Amino acid sequence: MTRMMLTVQPSRGLVDEKLQVVVKNLPPRQEVTLHSLHQSESNDFWEAFGHYVSDGKGTVTVAEDASVGGSYQGTEPMGLLWSMKPVPGSRTGLRLRKEDVRTPMVVQISVYRGHISRGFRETPSLACAVAERWYMAPGVRRVDVEEKGVRGTLLLPPGPGPFPGVLDMWGGGGGLVEYRSALLASHGYVSMVLEYMTPKIMEKFTLKGHHYFETAFAILRDYPQVCSDRVAILGLSFGTTVALTMAVCSPLIEPRCVVCVSGSHQLPVEEPLSDVLMWINKDKVRFDEEKRLITRYLLLPIPSDPSKKVEVGKIRCPLLLIVGEDDQSWPVSEMAEDMEKMMKEAGNSHLLTTLSYPGAGHLIEPPYTPHFCSTTFVSAKTREKVIMLWGGETKEHSYAQEHSWQRTLAFLQQHLYSRGDKSNRSNL
Amino acid sequence: MQGSFLCHSHWGALRQLLGLSVVRARLNKKTVWLHCMMGTMRQRSSCSPAPLLMAMPTRALMDEPIMLEARHLPPHCPITIRARMRSEDGDLWEALAHYHADGRGVVNLSRDEAQGGSYTGREPMGLFWSLLPAPGEREGLRLRKRNVETPFTVRVSLLRGHVLPPTALGCSRDARGRDTQVQEEELAAVTLERWYMAPGVRRVAIREGGVVGTLFLPPGPGPFPVVLDLWGMGGGLVEYRSALLASQGFASLALAYFGHRDIPGPLHRINVGDAYFLPRCVIGINGPMGSMNKLVDFGGKGESFQEDQKHWSYDEEGYVSFRGVSLPANIPPDHMVKIEDLRCPLLLIVGEDDLSCAAMENADKIEEGLQAAGKSHLITRLSYPGAGHLIEPPYSPNARSSLWSTRPTKLITLWGGHLGPHAYAQEHSWKKILEFLDRHLRGGS
Repeated sequence: MTRMMLTVQPSRGLVDEKLQVVVKNLPPRQEVTLHSLHQSESNDFWEAFGHYVSDGKGTVTVAEDASVGGSYQGTEPMGLLWSMKPVPGSRTGLRLRKEDVRTPMVVQISVYRGHISRGFRETPSLACAVAERWYMAPGVRRVDVEEKGVRGTLLLPPGPGPFPGVLDMWGGGGGLVEYRSALLASHGYVSMVLEYMTPKIMEKFTLKGHHYFETAFAILRDYPQVCSDRVAILGLSFGTTVALTMAVCSPLIEPRCVVCVSGSHQLPVEEPLSDVLMWINKDKVRFDEEKRLITRYLLLPIPSDPSKKVEVGKIRCPLLLIVGEDDQSWPVSEMAEDMEKMMKEAGNSHLLTTLSYPGAGHLIEPPYTPHFCSTTFVSAKTREKVIMLWGGETKEHSYAQEHSWQRTLAFLQQHLYSRGDKSNRSNL
Repeated sequence: MQGSFLCHSHWGALRQLLGLSVVRARLNKKTVWLHCMMGTMRQRSSCSPAPLLMAMPTRALMDEPIMLEARHLPPHCPITIRARMRSEDGDLWEALAHYHADGRGVVNLSRDEAQGGSYTGREPMGLFWSLLPAPGEREGLRLRKRNVETPFTVRVSLLRGHVLPPTALGCSRDARGRDTQVQEEELAAVTLERWYMAPGVRRVAIREGGVVGTLFLPPGPGPFPVVLDLWGMGGGLVEYRSALLASQGFASLALAYFGHRDIPGPLHRINVGDAYFLPRCVIGINGPMGSMNKLVDFGGKGESFQEDQKHWSYDEEGYVSFRGVSLPANIPPDHMVKIEDLRCPLLLIVGEDDLSCAAMENADKIEEGLQAAGKSHLITRLSYPGAGHLIEPPYSPNARSSLWSTRPTKLITLWGGHLGPHAYAQEHSWKKILEFLDRHLRGGS
């Protein structure tokens, strides 16, 4: 099979760009396995594979043909990426996250004769190609932010601007996770990822005391290349609670729009946030048969006392809620319903768009990266290590990531880039 | 960032330094946004974001088309798209083209027609093949990459209005050709990387058995079909075409046979014999079938090329054309390659405006010779009007002339070729070359 040719395009693409994988010049009706392999920054190996049969011309086109077996099935153009799992023998509880956004994820795609499901390392492949997957487009700049007590990273698109801004907040794991902001900057937004899950900050943060976040928002809003009235807030998990609190409760924070992924509007009003993270001792925590932690019941039932929730009825800007119906971490579907109810009662539900994904779990992230049903989780407050069940079925979750990311980008473009406001038309 | 003096507005540049005179003020009715230093009051009014310039992919192979699109422009407004890059020697190259946004405020270079600039019409890759050295740069430049393991970095900018390239004096001209003090205004930008080597391609220096070259291998176990990559009398070791071929799945050996320090003998002679070359299926680009000086014999010594200049001709600028050297009438018959002994397919690529080599006349002779030997079926000839000598991988600018030597005097040589037709020849012939290699080395249909 020296004639056969494997092409993977683009060879250097952004993480959210589709990959075209084509095999040509095989014998007709030949069984082959397409395999992907990635070595993470922590030196774990991840792989996926699909079983294909070449057509009458000896071609396999992953975007059009159906996989009949493997880590994914059916016509799945990006299955070789999102269905990746740690290779047999790996440590448990792994989660694939890019730490250094200045380098790409490198994926090796190989073709094997026949339909095989194991032993990829030992078996000689017929051909292979390498694809780089980048979070950062060339020209995107990274700026460390450390001022007025606020810590974060700014990712800026190339060019003079001005650009709309996005305040990017992750959840209870803490740290400074840059990759989503790097992607947003590659799409034309100044995106600032904020570190806030440190014990010192969380001790001060309650629904009423949000000075840290007001300062952070102001730093982004007032940055020279940012359009000050076009700043959105994007939050995941606990970040959504912060986002909603900021949007509703602070007179100094006026986001143009808000995106909440896997979020909650519940918050103890008076207690410092750090105490909320002591949930691990509470009674409503459950474990599944594999001793994985399920925390969704901690926040149920949803209180009817409005003082225990963010008053989303007061939100003044468009709100996009993204929820996975199989979320085992938080009862996001119930909360989304409650938020809708509150907004209907307040008369601002026209601002709300809810995207609800059957079979998706808690960690709805930028697309085409592997889904993890459960991973090791270290609480930022207690530093205790557990295996957290996030939920989600791989295929449905990957669909949710792809679809919700496209909708998030469209939502941000509509509200941050549109020229709908006539007074903003310029004369050229 | 803190305490900066930047004031910014959209669509009109307003730079104001506190305490100093206004450098230039063009008031824009819509948004004036002062960001003054050290805690003075900020005026904040509504702000429109700059238009967006997007490219896909942003990291491309050199022979890969790039889609460029500008969005969020006012409908039908005039804009300029400009590409700028620096060569490895630090020379600035640029190209630009004029467009109008459509009714939705979009300009798409794969779809729209340029109305002027470095090229006109619908040219998705025009910004890259029409690159020219910026005014004031050295003369006789040719854009070539020596280190293929790093990319060319190109900054593509969206400029307001229809901007003409700056004159040699550095002034801008407006669309009516009047010199103005107004500098062009960059509204948006995108950075591109253009690579000769795909990820996973391996580069292996070869210095063995007297062979001097660089082998490029595609990723994977192989075995791979092989291309022997030979350049011309410029000599040296030129790697970029082989790097690209390996990125297309062919092992490719870029071979030095002349003018390289690792090959024994004087630099200006061919000192390697027939045994040095491994015969295989052949692609010939703008080549003579012989030389007035004996090229090679089994003894492996050739004569110097610089010695006999009687067939050189000069244009009115003193640029030299070597074309006469390779006219068949000037080549002694016993110096001609015995084309009738050809045993394998031959793809012959000819630039009809080749000013360095009599490519058309030699191609005619080759065809005649093969026909006389009953071997016409071996030859495929592609002939490109308006293309010059240097038919290379696509989407790179053609050099109509470039510096040939500096001693004993500075000499600039003519290669020929006009930008547009030459760009077409490169794009078309590269596809044909890859198909030819695929057919004969892989048995593709």
